[in-house]
Amino acid sequence: MGYRISVDTGGTFTDMVLLDPDGKFHVGKSLTTPERISEGMFSALDVVAEAVGKSTKELFAETDLLIYGTTRATNAIVTKQTARTAFLTTTGFRDILVFKEGGKHGPHDYSYDYPQPYIPRRRTFEINERIGASGEVVRPLDETQAREVIETLKERGFEAVAVSLLWSIANEAHEARLGELIEEIMPGVPYTLSHRIAPILREYRRASATAIDASLKPLMQAHLTGMQTDLRDAGFTGDLLVSTSVGGCQEVESLVERPINTLKSGPAMAPVAGRAYSALERMGGDVIVCDAGGTTFDVGLVRDNQLVYSRDSWLGPQWTGDIIGASTVDVRSVGAGGGSIAWVDPGGLLQVGPQSAGSVPGPACYGAGGTNPTVTDAALVLGYIDPEYFNGGRLTLDRDAAVNVITTLAKTMGKDVDETAHAILVIANELMIKAIGEITVNDGLNPRESVIVAGGGAAGFNIMPIAHELGCATVILPQTASALSACGMQYSSIVFEATRSRFTDTNGFDRDGVNKALDEIEADLMQFRDSLGTAIDATVTIEFFAEARYRAQVWELDTNLPKPRLKTDADVDELIETFHQTHERVYAVRDEGSPVECVNWKGRISIRPFDPPPAPDPSDARNAPTPNATRSCFFGGNARVDTPVFRGEAMKIGDEVKGPAIIEEPTTTIVVYPDMSARLSAAGDYILDCR
Amino acid sequence: MSDTETTLDPVLMSVMANRLDGIVREMTNTLLRSARSAVISSARDFSCCLVTGNDELLAPAEGLPVHIFGCHIQTANMREYHKGDIQRGDAYLDNDPYGGNTHPADHTFMVPVFFEGEHMFTAVSKCHMADIGNSIPSSYFVRARDVYEEGALVFPGVRIQRDFKNNEDIMRMCRARIRVPDQWYGDYLAGLGSARIAERRLEAFCEKYGKDTVKAFMREWFDYSERRMIDNIRRLPKASLVNKGRSDPLEGILPDGLELTVKIDIDPDEGNIHVDLRDNPPSVDAGLNTSLGSATSAVVGAIFNALDKDLPRNEGAFRRLQFQYAEDSVVAAPTFPHSCSVSTTNVSERLVNITQSAFAQLGDGMGLSEGGAGLGAGMAVISGQDLRREPEPYVNRLMLSTNGGPASAVADGWVNYAIPVIAGLMYRDSVEVDELKHPIRVESLTLVTDSAGAGRRRGAPAQQIEYGPTHAPMMAVISCDGQHSQPRGVLGGLPGTSGETWLIEDEAQPERMPNVVQLTINPGQRVRGRDSAGGGYGDPLDRETERVIVDVLEGWETLEKAKDIYGVIFTGEIDDESLEVDEAATTARRKELREARAA
Repeated sequence: MGYRISVDTGGTFTDMVLLDPDGKFHVGKSLTTPERISEGMFSALDVVAEAVGKSTKELFAETDLLIYGTTRATNAIVTKQTARTAFLTTTGFRDILVFKEGGKHGPHDYSYDYPQPYIPRRRTFEINERIGASGEVVRPLDETQAREVIETLKERGFEAVAVSLLWSIANEAHEARLGELIEEIMPGVPYTLSHRIAPILREYRRASATAIDASLKPLMQAHLTGMQTDLRDAGFTGDLLVSTSVGGCQEVESLVERPINTLKSGPAMAPVAGRAYSALERMGGDVIVCDAGGTTFDVGLVRDNQLVYSRDSWLGPQWTGDIIGASTVDVRSVGAGGGSIAWVDPGGLLQVGPQSAGSVPGPACYGAGGTNPTVTDAALVLGYIDPEYFNGGRLTLDRDAAVNVITTLAKTMGKDVDETAHAILVIANELMIKAIGEITVNDGLNPRESVIVAGGGAAGFNIMPIAHELGCATVILPQTASALSACGMQYSSIVFEATRSRFTDTNGFDRDGVNKALDEIEADLMQFRDSLGTAIDATVTIEFFAEARYRAQVWELDTNLPKPRLKTDADVDELIETFHQTHERVYAVRDEGSPVECVNWKGRISIRPFDPPPAPDPSDARNAPTPNATRSCFFGGNARVDTPVFRGEAMKIGDEVKGPAIIEEPTTTIVVYPDMSARLSAAGDYILDCR
Repeated sequence: MSDTETTLDPVLMSVMANRLDGIVREMTNTLLRSARSAVISSARDFSCCLVTGNDELLAPAEGLPVHIFGCHIQTANMREYHKGDIQRGDAYLDNDPYGGNTHPADHTFMVPVFFEGEHMFTAVSKCHMADIGNSIPSSYFVRARDVYEEGALVFPGVRIQRDFKNNEDIMRMCRARIRVPDQWYGDYLAGLGSARIAERRLEAFCEKYGKDTVKAFMREWFDYSERRMIDNIRRLPKASLVNKGRSDPLEGILPDGLELTVKIDIDPDEGNIHVDLRDNPPSVDAGLNTSLGSATSAVVGAIFNALDKDLPRNEGAFRRLQFQYAEDSVVAAPTFPHSCSVSTTNVSERLVNITQSAFAQLGDGMGLSEGGAGLGAGMAVISGQDLRREPEPYVNRLMLSTNGGPASAVADGWVNYAIPVIAGLMYRDSVEVDELKHPIRVESLTLVTDSAGAGRRRGAPAQQIEYGPTHAPMMAVISCDGQHSQPRGVLGGLPGTSGETWLIEDEAQPERMPNVVQLTINPGQRVRGRDSAGGGYGDPLDRETERVIVDVLEGWETLEKAKDIYGVIFTGEIDDESLEVDEAATTARRKELREARAA
C-alpha cells in the first residue's frame, strides 16, 4: 500500500492529513489560496512530505488516493459569487423562494429585515402548466410560452437555469420537457431539474435545492476539473475523490453534476472521524462530536455507529437562510469560541457572546487593538495558556492586556480578576452545554451513555468541565484534533443517496407503489456504482429508509426499512414497529392506534474503496511523566494552585496526568481540571477522564 | 423588589437560568414535532412555560406572545380546586377563559412537579386544538351569542391523570364530542408528553442543585428580571400615551365594529408602566370578548415589542406592569356567559397594534407601526368530505398565506407575519402538503405589488391566494378582522392595504364576501383571499434610495409608487437590470413633494 492523502480546504486554513504505509498520520497546515486552490494544497503537501523525508514529487508518485474537501461552494454563496441563475416555476407560484417556510427568531425582535430570496424575483419566470397531487395534468405545458421564456433567458445571458415545478415529483414530464428545451435553445448552459436533484415533497425545499445546485454548477465544474488538472500536472496518478455533505466521498464527475452535495462537506466529516476514533479506542457507538474553532462550536452525533442525517440543514440561520433540501450529516453550530466577548447586562448579570471579537482585532491579548474581554483573554489570565507558546509559539500573547480588560469587567461585577475570568469560562461553557443538550435531546441520545470526541484548536480549554456537566465520563481528544475533518476523510466511504416521493399510509399501504419506488431508487444506486471508475470490486452496502410520521403530523422521522422490499403485511408491520420505536426514542411517546404515513423513500449506497487505517494494539502501560514546567493557575475555589505543565511531544504512550495539569500541543492546549485525569493512548489520542 | 442581600452566586444563577431555558426549549421542540394538527405543528399555536409552586410565571419558551400571561392564574385555580389532593403523577387540563386561560380552544396541560414531597413547579403546555366540540366545525366561532351557542367543552382545572394514568371517563367524553377525535388525542399526547418531559428534567434539576438553592434561584431570578425591567423603563421618557383603534364590523351584530382604547402611563422615576384598559365597550353577544389572559397578554406582548428585545419575561418583570380593568368589558373583563371564542385573535390583534404603535408617540426610534391583521382565506378553517379514497371527513386550519408585518424604526416589515398575536413565529403550510392531505387545489399564491404601507421603513406587502375544492363542496370558516380598518403607519408612515375575500365562479364577476363568513365553496368555484399589509414607519420621502431600488427591481413596489410616494426617479430598465436611481431628478422630486405637502 502507498500513501493516502486527505485535504480539507477551509476558508482560512488548508488542513492536510497524510497516512503513511505504516499507518501513521502526519498533519500539515497552510493558508488557503482561494484563487488557485492547488497552491495552498501544495504548500501543505510540502509540510507533510518533509515529515516523511520525501520530495513532494516523490510523495505524489507513491500516493494511491487523494480525498479532497472544499468549502468553495459555501464561500461562493456567502460572497455572492455564484452564477447568474434563472428560476423557472409554475405560473401563480413565483414567490416560493421568497416565502420559504416561515419561522422567525425572537417574537419581540423587529430589528432586522426580512431576508432576500436565493434567486431574486426579477430572475424568476413563470411557466404555464400545472400538475396535480396525484400526478394528473391539470394544465398542459404551454410549449410556445415556455420557448418564449427560454429565448428570453438566452437573450439576457443567464449562466444557469433552475427548474422546479409543483408536483414534478408525481409527474416529471413537464420538467423533463423544459430540460430538453433548455438544451435545444441554450446549449451548454447548465441547468438543474428539481425531480432529479431533490425528489422530495414540499415545494420550497425542492425549489431551494434546485436553485442552489444550478447556481453552483458553472463555478464548481471549473473548480473541480481545474483542481483535477493541477493534480495530474503535478504528477499525481492515483484515484481522486471529493468529500460530500453526507459524510462520504464521490468522484469528481458525479459532483460536477450535483455540486450541492459539496456543501457542508467539511463539518460532515467530523462525525466520521468521531465514529472512527471511538471505535479505535473501543468506546462504543454513541458519540458526541465537538469541533471548537475560534468563532463557532459545531456539534454532530453518531448513534449506534450510524451518522445522523437531517433534511433541515440551512445555509445561514434556520428559517431565514436558504434550506439545502438535500440530506446532510446533522451538524449544529453555535456562535461561541475563543473570541466571544464577555459583558455585564443592565441587570448586573455576566453574559458571554453572541458578539465576537473575531480574528481581527481578536481578543485583547492578541495586541491588535481589541479592547473587549474575551474567552481567550480569560483563559490566559487563569494561566491555562502559555503566552509564549500560543498556537505553537507562532503568536506571542500580551498577558497584561488581557489582565487589563478583565480587571475592568471585574470592577463592574465587584469580584476579583481570577473569579471574573473563571466566571467567563463557566458562562461560555453553558452555551456549549446547551448546544450539545439540544442536539442530543433532539435525537434521543443520552450523553451519560456516550463518549465525546473533541477537535478544533479551542476544544481543550473547557471540554472536560463540559463533559462533566453533561454526565459524560470520557472525552477522546486526538493529537490530530486540529484537523478533525481531514482525518474523517481517511475513514470515509463513497456514499450516494437516491430518493423518491411516494406518499402512502399504513391503513391502505401501497405496497406495489412503494416497491416500485424502491426499485427505482436501487436502479439509481446501481447506476451510480456502475459509473464509478474505481472501486469496482469494493464492498457495497445498501440501506433503505422511509421518511415517516403519524397521520397528520407534519415532520417526518428517518426510519430504517427492515427489509429492502415490503413484500408482505408482516414486512409492513415490521416497518410500523420500527417507526413506533423511533418516535418513542425521540419524543418519549408512541401512538399505537395511529396509522403511519410514509412521505419520501430513500436509499443510500456505501462503497468502501479503501480500508481504514489500522488500529494499533491497546496498551495497558501507565506511567507518570515528569512535567516540563509549573504554572500558577486558577480553577475556582479560593486560591491559585501551582500546576504542572506537560509538552505533548514529550508524552509517551501510557503516560497519565492527574489534574490539575496543562498539556500543551502545538495547535491545542488541554486543561486537565482538578480531580480529573488524562492519558495518552496507543493510537495517539488523549483519553480524558471527566468523572 | 427584595432588599435582602444576594445569597446566590450570580454565575450560578446564569447557569441555572440557562438550564431552565433548555428545559422549556425541549418541551417546545417535543410538542412542535410530535403534534398532529396543523394549527400546532405549522401555525405554532401553542406555548410552554414553567410556573413556580407558588404560581409565579418563571420561564416561558419562545412561544406565542398572546399566551404569555395567565398560566399562573390557571395553576393557582388548579391548586385551589384540588387543595390537599395534588400529588406526583397527576396532570390537569384547563381551558376556562374565566379562569385565566386565553380561550376554550387552548387546552392547557398542567403537571405539578414535586421534590422531596414539596410542590416546586408546575410545567404547563398550552395548545390550540383543531376542534374542541364547538357547534360549528371551527374552534373560532365569531358569531357565538354566548358560551352555550359556542358549544365548547370546558374543563376548569380538571384532573386528567393520577399516577401517570389517564382518567378514561374524560377521554371518552372528549372522543364523544370532538370532531376527528384521533387528531385531538394525538395532540393531547403531544401536549401532555411535553409537560411530562419537563417534569423529568425538573426533578433532576432539583436533585442536582438542592431545594434551598433552587428556591434562592427563583427569588434572585425574579429580582434580576425586575431590575432589568426597571432599568429599561428608566430609559424611557415620562409620558401618558392614549391610543385608539377599531375592530371590523360584524354583520347584523356590530355594524361599526368596536372602538378600542389603550392608555399607558410610563413612569421612569418609579420604574413602572401603568396600563388602563377600562375605557372600552361592555361585553358583546358574540365570540369577540377577550379574556383577562388574552387581552393582558396582547398588551404585555406589545409592550415587550417596544422594549429591549432580550428582557426576561416572567413574574419579576411583570411586577413593573400595572393593569386596570373595567367591571364589564369586551377587553379583559367579559361577564359570564359571554363567549370568548376568538379571544386570542380579532380584538386581541387590534390591542397589539394599538399598544405597539402608541409607543411611537414617544418619538422616532420608539414603537412599531401596525401589523397586518385578520385570519383571511389563506388561514381559514376548512372542512368537508374527502372522497379520493374511502369517504372521510376532514377539518383543519390552513396557514398558506399571511398578512404583512409592521415596520420598525430600523427594519422593514416581516413577510411571514401571520397576525399580530403570532408575530411571525408560525411556519407556512406547503402547498403540496395541503393538496396531498385534503381535496384542495391552490391556483396561485403571490405577494401583492404596491400593497405595503410606505415609510422610511416599509410594512411588509400583502399576499393573495386562490383555492378551491377538487371534487366535493368545501366549507371555509373565515373569521377575519382585517378588512375594514387598515393597518396604520406611524410618524408619517402610510397605512398598508386591507384584506378582502372574494368568491369566484365567473372570473369576470368575482363576488365580494363579508370579513367574517362561513363559505361553502362548490367544485368549479374558488375563493380568493387577500391579506392585509403592514403599515409604514417614518416619512417615505426619507427612505434610502438603495432600499427603494430593490423594492422596484423585485416588484414589491412599482415605478409609479416609487415616483408618487417615495419621490424616487429611475433611469434604465427593470428587465435587463439596468435600473439606476436618477439622483438629481430624485432630489428635485422629493423637494417638490415636500413643498406640495407643506402647501
